[in-house]
Amino acid sequence: MAATGGFVEADNAEAIITRIEHKSRKIESLLKQLKPVEALKTALEGSPPMTRDERCKSANWIVVHRALMAIKDVDGMLSSLDPEYHDILMKYLYRGLSTGDRPTCDQCLRIHEKLTEKAGLGCILRSLADTVNTV
Amino acid sequence: MANTLRLYLTCIRNTLEAAMCLQNFPCQEVERHNKPEVELKTSTELLLNPVLICRNEAEKCLIETSINSLRISLKVKQSDELENILTKKFLRFLSMRAEAFQVLRRKPVQDIDKEISELKMSVNTRGRLVATEFLKQFI
Repeated sequence: MAATGGFVEADNAEAIITRIEHKSRKIESLLKQLKPVEALKTALEGSPPMTRDERCKSANWIVVHRALMAIKDVDGMLSSLDPEYHDILMKYLYRGLSTGDRPTCDQCLRIHEKLTEKAGLGCILRSLADTVNTV
Repeated sequence: MANTLRLYLTCIRNTLEAAMCLQNFPCQEVERHNKPEVELKTSTELLLNPVLICRNEAEKCLIETSINSLRISLKVKQSDELENILTKKFLRFLSMRAEAFQVLRRKPVQDIDKEISELKMSVNTRGRLVATEFLKQFI
């Protein structure tokens, strides 16, 4: 989180996109093994990668979205997720809610309710207030 | 069907509760003026991320907050003329009778149908509770 040079330039964006593609292949294989919780954890790790590039964010969002839609057991997933990922998950939930696509919104609303019960209003406020690391 | 409505409303309620952390904050540029930052957008550090909560393609709720004010824009599903009329009446009621909170602007934002803008000038906990209870009645 250095003040100078904290954000990557265009050529590094390519490196990040390849990393995201690599991550998405890993997630596909985890989903095939019916481990959606592991897949979500992998998707949330290493994100947001401190970048302003819209393509990186969209690519990461697609990956997280795929893992989110595969989750059936919300309570189990939340109990096994570390607290440090709560804030990032909340930011992705709001991104999902803004899409307006019905199945995505249904899933996001379900997870949002449980996550708020678990993490509290502070989590929501942190995702609202953080204008530096947006997803 | 009813379940998604309940989830949607819970989500809005929780977000609003978190977002209504307002305090009195006089204008930074002009002395002795107090401006609703969410309207003017003069200083970016005073604004928070706007949040859009969609239930489906037809119903959404946009919440924009800043340090001293918050704007809620609601798009309600209107599948026929009767619902259209009911929505208009409901909104007239809210805008005219809402004494518990100070409503500043009633103009819609671009493609969002209806808008109510609220400004809370002081850190008044009781005022906040009253406003939340009041809003809950209509939700």
